[in-house]
Parts: sequence; C-alpha cells; structure tokens
Amino acid sequence: MLFVRLQSPRLLKAASEFCASNALFTAQFHNPLLQPLPINYQPNEMKISASLFALFAIASFAQADVLKINGSTTVNLPAAEGAEILRAEKKMDIQVDTQGGSSGGISALGDGQVQIGMSSKPVSDDDRAKYPNVKFNPIHIGEDAVAMIVSKDVWDGGLKALAKQQIQDLYEGKIKNWKEVSGPDEQVVFFNKEPGRGTWEVFAHWAYGDPKKAPQVSLPEVGGNEETRNKVGSTRGAISQLSSSWADGKKVFALGIKTESGDVLQPTPDNIATHKYPMSRPLFLITNGEPQGEAKVFVDFMLSPQGQELVKKHGYLALDQLKTGTP
Amino acid sequence: MISSSARPSLPLASRRRRFSLTKGASLAFSLLALLTLAGLVLIFLLQSLPVWRHEGVGYLTGIKWFYRAELFGALPMIYGTLIVAFIALLLAAPIGISAALFTAEIVPGRVRLIWKILVELLAGVPSVVYGLLGILYLRNWVYHLLTPFDPLSGDTLLTAGLLLAVMILPTVMTLSDDALRGVPAAQRHAARGLGLTRAETALGLTLPQALPGIGAALLLGLGRAFGETIAVFLVVGRQDNQPLAWRSLIEAGQTLTSKLGGSETNIASGDSLHWGAMVGLGLILLATTVVLTLLGSRLAQPRNIHAA
Repeated sequence: MLFVRLQSPRLLKAASEFCASNALFTAQFHNPLLQPLPINYQPNEMKISASLFALFAIASFAQADVLKINGSTTVNLPAAEGAEILRAEKKMDIQVDTQGGSSGGISALGDGQVQIGMSSKPVSDDDRAKYPNVKFNPIHIGEDAVAMIVSKDVWDGGLKALAKQQIQDLYEGKIKNWKEVSGPDEQVVFFNKEPGRGTWEVFAHWAYGDPKKAPQVSLPEVGGNEETRNKVGSTRGAISQLSSSWADGKKVFALGIKTESGDVLQPTPDNIATHKYPMSRPLFLITNGEPQGEAKVFVDFMLSPQGQELVKKHGYLALDQLKTGTP
Repeated sequence: MISSSARPSLPLASRRRRFSLTKGASLAFSLLALLTLAGLVLIFLLQSLPVWRHEGVGYLTGIKWFYRAELFGALPMIYGTLIVAFIALLLAAPIGISAALFTAEIVPGRVRLIWKILVELLAGVPSVVYGLLGILYLRNWVYHLLTPFDPLSGDTLLTAGLLLAVMILPTVMTLSDDALRGVPAAQRHAARGLGLTRAETALGLTLPQALPGIGAALLLGLGRAFGETIAVFLVVGRQDNQPLAWRSLIEAGQTLTSKLGGSETNIASGDSLHWGAMVGLGLILLATTVVLTLLGSRLAQPRNIHAA
C-alpha cells in the first residue's frame, strides 16, 4: 500500500521540495550561533505538551470531505467556474487543480487522489493498462481544437498557414528560419507543449499518426496554456501548440492548416464542429465508474444548460453545437 | 560587562530525571521525522534500482535523455542545477553579506529589527510568486539584454540563476546578520576602545569571527537554490540534452527540479525503468542537499568558545 501511494508523481515532487525546506529548517534550529537562546529560557512544559497534542489532534481530523478535481488547463476554465458556482450555491467544498495537465488528471484519478480528472485527450489503452483496477469513465462535455500558434512578428511577416510536412520539419528542427517557409527572416523558436499534455498528444496524433511514433526532440518545453501564450507572445519567431480558443489574435495567432489539395482550414467553430479541422478534440471529465455523490452533482451541473453555457463562454464548443454526434 | 548572548549556566544533565510528557511526545515526534527521512531514502533507493541496473554509472555521466529509446543520462540536468545554483550564489553572496554587515554593525537596533522582519517576510513569499514575476518581467528583461548574442528566447539558465539569486538573498542576508550579531558585543567595544574605526572593527574583527556562520548561511542559500522547483521551472526553458558549454548559459536548459516538476513524471508512472529514472533524479537531489546541509551545520559549529 505504501509503495502504491509513493508511486505518485506529486509525492515525488513534494519530496524533492522537502529537501530544500528541510535543510533550512534543521540548520536554523541546530545552530547555536544563529539562534541564541534567551538567558532565562524556561520552557513551560504543560503549554508545550498541550500544544503538541493539539497539533496532533488537528492533523488527524483535518481531512474533510472535499471534491478534488485535477487535470487539463483547457478543461479547467469552465470547470473552475462551475466549481465557483457550486461552492456559492450548494456550499460544496471543491478543489480544482491543474497539476501535470491531462495526463496528470488521468494519473491522479488512477491513484485515487481525485474523484474527477479533467482531460483534453481521450483515455488511451496505455492509461487503462497502467491502472487495471480503475474503470475510466470519460464524460464528454465539449469540443475544442489544437492550433499551431505563432508570435506577432511571424504573423505580420506574412505567415498565415502551414502544411503538415512543414510543421513536422519545424518540429524536428529541419527548418531553422521562417523564410524557408516564406515567412520573415527570423530564427524559429519552437516551444513544445510538454509530452503528456492533452494538447501535445492531439498534435502528435495528427502529425505522426501515434504519439509513440513522434520523433523524440529536445525543444524548450511549455506547460499550461497561460504559460504557452505568454512565452510565444513575448518571443520573436516563436511557434507552439495551443488550444485554439486561447489564440487571442493580439499577442498570438492561430495558423491555418494547408491540406494536400491546397485548401486552408482554419480552427473556426464550424470546422471544429464538423471535424473538418484536423486537430479537433473532445474535452472530458473522467470519473472512476459512474459518478457518485458530489462528483455526480458536479458532472450533472457541467452537462446542464448552465454548465454548457460556461463551456461556450470560454470559446469551446458545447455539445449541442456538434454536428456529428460523438467523435 | 556581561555578554548578552551568554549561555545559561545550569547544565541540562543536572536537572532531576523524571517522566515528562513533553519529553516523551517530543521524542516520539522527532523519531517520526527521522523514520520519515530514512523511509524516504530507502524507497527512493529501491524504486530507482531499475535505472541503476540499466545505465550503471552512465546514469550520472550520460548526456542523452530519450525516454522512449530508454536512454537516461542525467548529466545535463545535474549541470543545469549546479550552474543555476552557483550563478545565484555568486550574485547573492556579495550583496547579502554587505547588507548584513550594514545592518549588524551600523544600523541602530530598532531599525535592524524592522529590517529583519521585512527580509524574513521576503524569504517567506511563495516561490510561485517569484516564478510569475520572473515570467512577467525577468525573462523579457534578460531577452532584451541578451539581444546582441542572439538568444532564442528569454528562458535561459542565466534567467533562472538571476531569479534564484533574488530568492536566496533574504536567507543569506538574515543568516549572515545573525552570524555577525553572534560576535560578542564586548569584543566590539574593546576594539572601538582601542581606537579602531567602525569599518576596521567590522572588517577586521567581526567579519573574520563570523565567517563560519556566514559560510553556513551561503550553504543554506545554495541548498534552497538546489531544491527550488516552481520558480526555476517557469523560466529555465526546460530543454533536455543541452550541450555542457558556456553558450548554454544563455540558452534554455533543464535542472533536476524542473524535470521532476514537469509532466514527464505522469508518463513515467507505471513503467518501472522510466519511473526509476525519475526517482533517481530525486535521489541525486536529496543526496546533494544532505551533503550541503551537513557541511553547513559543520561550519556553523563554533570553533572559538568566545564567539558563541
């Protein structure tokens, strides 16, 4: 049991951070030079033992009933706002977190750390194989697309669309300057979405057929959507993969995709709804088996008209806007 | 004159031995802490075994990390961690020690206290706040500053080092100040009485006596720099397999913590070799910080009884 729990990435991170804080802590306390005791230091034994036990008591009872949700920063936008409403209206205790993106959500659900995972990619067979005892139950709440986004100087330099081959070459570092794809004379800075993020998986699926077939590259990596937008927007010659509704058209711009027949497909709502745009993707809430209790309340809310309104509000497509049923 | 930092004269051993709830509870809690640490090291060792078997020493010296090809070389990350921490220390040490000299030797007591409270507040600011400030201002500033060298972006090892310097500065300042104040006032008065100026007293008497304490302050700062995750994560660029060259200072890189903070741990969980490689990074980090902490506590032991 202990081993199972320690397999969690979060604990590993906590442990590594623990080293640093621990170093400071112990040294400050064992260090007579740094912390001289006052002359007449007489600890009040009763007080100390009382506070020690109080601490112990608090620690053991602090675990309340909290609905924990973790995963994709894309799904997070409507989900966090839904949680806000439920907190206010139903006094529910909900924690929404975006540790590790979609795969973080799936593994947190698999490890039993959260009741709902958020994901912007389907649960893969690998995920199911990793957690054989977990019944992943993806609940489709909306639709979105991954766009290739570029910084303003690239966009203004005349680059508005790319073909799949060109994107592969950029990804693999074969194209180093934008003028090779009739863009401005500027070096290419590819910020790769971290492998494991939903966005990256959808990208790799489209560009290489299977994320496992994508060549392993060493590019600077970005994590959440906000970080991606910020870094691409403030760097000359930058390109990255990002949820299309986050491409604001001011700092970062979504490129069209050139098809073999020469058409250019933009990530517009119409093209996403009909899946004409190739990197369209479903957004999921994932539960272990059928959602129950508070998790069910949350899922039902996100599927209700009010919840679907939130999905639309953040630029994604609600379920009733989709024209082809389940993807 | 009686020194204000004299030790209580009553030795602990002469107190009556009797059962004490406080002692019992404290002992239990300290044992719990020790056991946690021991368990942590043990589990890290056990879980990282697969990668040591697979790579051997190559795990520490290899320069290629491609997890799908089962290549795990951690050297670029160790290098990144060291470089980033040393840049931070190089900047924070002179500023921190000078500031500590100023407050410990020159500023009147009450101002010093207020200053200390403020600095310690600064040390308590969550690192994600520093990280966001780093994303918003520092990386753009570095990007513009480095323009003549044609950097790819503002995410560089240098940026991370600069940000860490700001983060460890409060630690270095306040602990150095404590070390300087630990030098008995009597000696200071004697030096002034002999006609030494303030500067001569500070540089010739207090500073040399406080050096071990200042050394400890620097090592603890370094320890924090090694372990810092989220702030570094946001500005270091997280690029694997960078060559270990000078040019890498102004290019994106990877540290042990930024690797562990990323999404790769999620991909790794379930695959014992890949997971072992990630845990191994934690083990390397743990070992480095333990060594630093031991060195720091060693330095802080007073060599001269009068200096305590």
